[in-house]
Amino acid sequence: MSTEAAATMEIETVPSESKPESNPLPPKPKFEPLKAHEMSDGRVQFRKVSVPPHRYSPLKKYWMDIYTPVYEQMKIDIRMNLKARKVELKTRQDTPDISNLQKCADFVQAFMLGFDVPDAIALLRLDELYVESFEIKDVKTLRGEHLSRAIGRLSGKGGKTKFAIENSTKTRTVIADTKIHILGSFANIKIARDSLCSLILGSPAGKVYSKLRQVSARLAERF
Amino acid sequence: MIPSAMASSTETALESLHHIKSTEPPEWLVPKQELSQAVRAASKLLFSSLKPYCPKSPFDQLLTEGFDVEQIWQQIDLQSQPLLSSLRREVKKFEKHPEEISKLKDGGVGGGEKKKKVLEQIETDNVVNDDEDDDDMDMDEDDDDEEEEDEEGEEEEKERGTEEESENEGEEKGGIEDKFLKIKELQEYLEEDEAREFGLKKKKTKAESKKEEEDTEEEGDDDDEEDENEGSEDDDDEAEEEEDELGLFDGNDEEDEDDLENARYEDFFSRKKNKSSKEKAKSRDMLEEDSGSDDEQDVDKRKDGPSKHEKELDKLRSKIEEMEKANLDPKVWTMRGEVTAAQRQKNSALEVDLDFEHNVRPAPVITEEVTASLEDLIKTRISEGLFDDVQKARTSSSKAPREIKELDESKSKKALAEVYEEEFVQKTDPASALLTFSDELKKEASMLFKKLCLKLDALSHFHFTPKPVVEDMSIQTNVPALAMEEIAPMAVSDAAMLAPEEVFSGKGDIKEEAELTKAERKRRRANKKRKFKAEAAKRMGKKA
Repeated sequence: MSTEAAATMEIETVPSESKPESNPLPPKPKFEPLKAHEMSDGRVQFRKVSVPPHRYSPLKKYWMDIYTPVYEQMKIDIRMNLKARKVELKTRQDTPDISNLQKCADFVQAFMLGFDVPDAIALLRLDELYVESFEIKDVKTLRGEHLSRAIGRLSGKGGKTKFAIENSTKTRTVIADTKIHILGSFANIKIARDSLCSLILGSPAGKVYSKLRQVSARLAERF
Repeated sequence: MIPSAMASSTETALESLHHIKSTEPPEWLVPKQELSQAVRAASKLLFSSLKPYCPKSPFDQLLTEGFDVEQIWQQIDLQSQPLLSSLRREVKKFEKHPEEISKLKDGGVGGGEKKKKVLEQIETDNVVNDDEDDDDMDMDEDDDDEEEEDEEGEEEEKERGTEEESENEGEEKGGIEDKFLKIKELQEYLEEDEAREFGLKKKKTKAESKKEEEDTEEEGDDDDEEDENEGSEDDDDEAEEEEDELGLFDGNDEEDEDDLENARYEDFFSRKKNKSSKEKAKSRDMLEEDSGSDDEQDVDKRKDGPSKHEKELDKLRSKIEEMEKANLDPKVWTMRGEVTAAQRQKNSALEVDLDFEHNVRPAPVITEEVTASLEDLIKTRISEGLFDDVQKARTSSSKAPREIKELDESKSKKALAEVYEEEFVQKTDPASALLTFSDELKKEASMLFKKLCLKLDALSHFHFTPKPVVEDMSIQTNVPALAMEEIAPMAVSDAAMLAPEEVFSGKGDIKEEAELTKAERKRRRANKKRKFKAEAAKRMGKKA
């Protein structure tokens, strides 16, 4: 990106004082950074995100909210392939950065996982946000009623435990049956994951709250 | 009634009385009509003859026709009860003042005769009453009673007769005697005393005391004795008592008579054995016994006659023997030094007063003064309000209290992007940062409080109380006070603004030259020298 370009530029312009030149070589060429469009030999880059059936109607509902920032601000072409049930993204000529495509793809993917559009848009705006997914069975093998109870514990009454975690760690979580997705910065994801895992393993919500309080206080103090 | 008829009836009654008296006891066993008739007539006569002596009786005559045995008896009883008590009183009176009997007697031989008659009537009353009981068929016991009471009555008469005679004699002596001095009593007392000393009278008193014990009375009065003997109730208990008394009395009479006749030397001297057995008598008798026995033991010793010196020598010898014996015997455990529990008897340490060193302060004895002093202390403390309460040590908080972040359990209204946006803004440009939730709350709270204060101030018409005095630092110059107060100084005042200790800059006890002691002078000089030396050394060091 621009920083990379600046860095390369800087490297080039540093003169070497110490090396005496015998043959006057031609000056090194100055290259502009490659545009996204020019990458891969000028061919267009694609990303395809499949749409799960339960996200089909929400996609239809929020299509404009998705489309607008992707096309306008990220300058990525986006379309829905109804037959294949996929969302396709492709770079344009005036796409400023190659990473935009990836970001948009991540954004759409996040939406498909179940996150809300405003939350997912944070992915577009901030670099360091990631989505982590894991399953309950990765933490502890639970079957039948235990599994249901674990899911219940994760969400809490009216979702209050989930919201508590989200608010204190500045993340967003999606609990989809046995799959759990967390969206946020790396450290925050870690904290949220720890809390969720402790909930899965059986600790009561109060304990998790107290830990969250401590952690959030520590996080706040840092700044 | 017609007196002649009365006279004839009395004659018939007397006849019937005699008839009753003459009948054999076994005849009474079977109820007979003529006997009962005779008895009734006799009772009637007796009743009417006794009538003048009891004014309170409601009957003029004994009503016998058509009346039941019980009813007749009740009538007799009604009459006889008060009569008996009055008689008893009279006899008691005569006991105490025998001269009155003589007065009675002087009043007329009839007086004495009257008394005799009265006695007879009492006796016959007894008889009559017993007859009534026979009619009721309580036979055997009452027969016995009747016989014994008859005897008793006769004996009483005898006694009374003797007493009266003796009193008559006394009266005849006359002249010397008056209320206080009675020669007869004097003689009696002398005899008693002598007998007491020689142990004769004791027998009699002992018998009396026995009787009294049986009657459950400790003090025997001759009066009581005689009263009981007189008593003519028909209760079986009393009849039994009277039996006992009678028996004892008879025995006593016999014993006394024997002793008086057979008084011997042995009775007066060397009666140790008998005396010891008779110590069960009254306490005063015991005392007299002891004195008597002592006298006799002394008498015995006088016969042996060991000299005083010999006695002392004996005593000494015995003492020496004792002490030698004690020395030879093993010591008492208290004298033995260290003694364990096994080496002494069980519980022997309890009897000995052991002396310990107590390292513990003894518990304070709670007396009234102690409690009073404590209470006074408490009262003064309460009045002053000077309690020894533990004061909480406040930790001085150097840091500002941290804002406690509340866990928000509701769905956050801000999107994640907005959250990070805010965070970024706060990091880069804190000034433009929007207020946090807590700040907003504070703002709201302060707004509310301002409104409230406005309303409260309006209540007091905006007349504010003065602010509390905050002590500030102020500089005091050492200028005379008057100079500060007035522009045109009329006179210069001595009163400086500063206090003397604020003016004085120095330490310790300042002494005048003359006041210094020799040691202090020396010390001063030594200090000076030291300082000088130090300075000199410093100068040398600097130069170098």
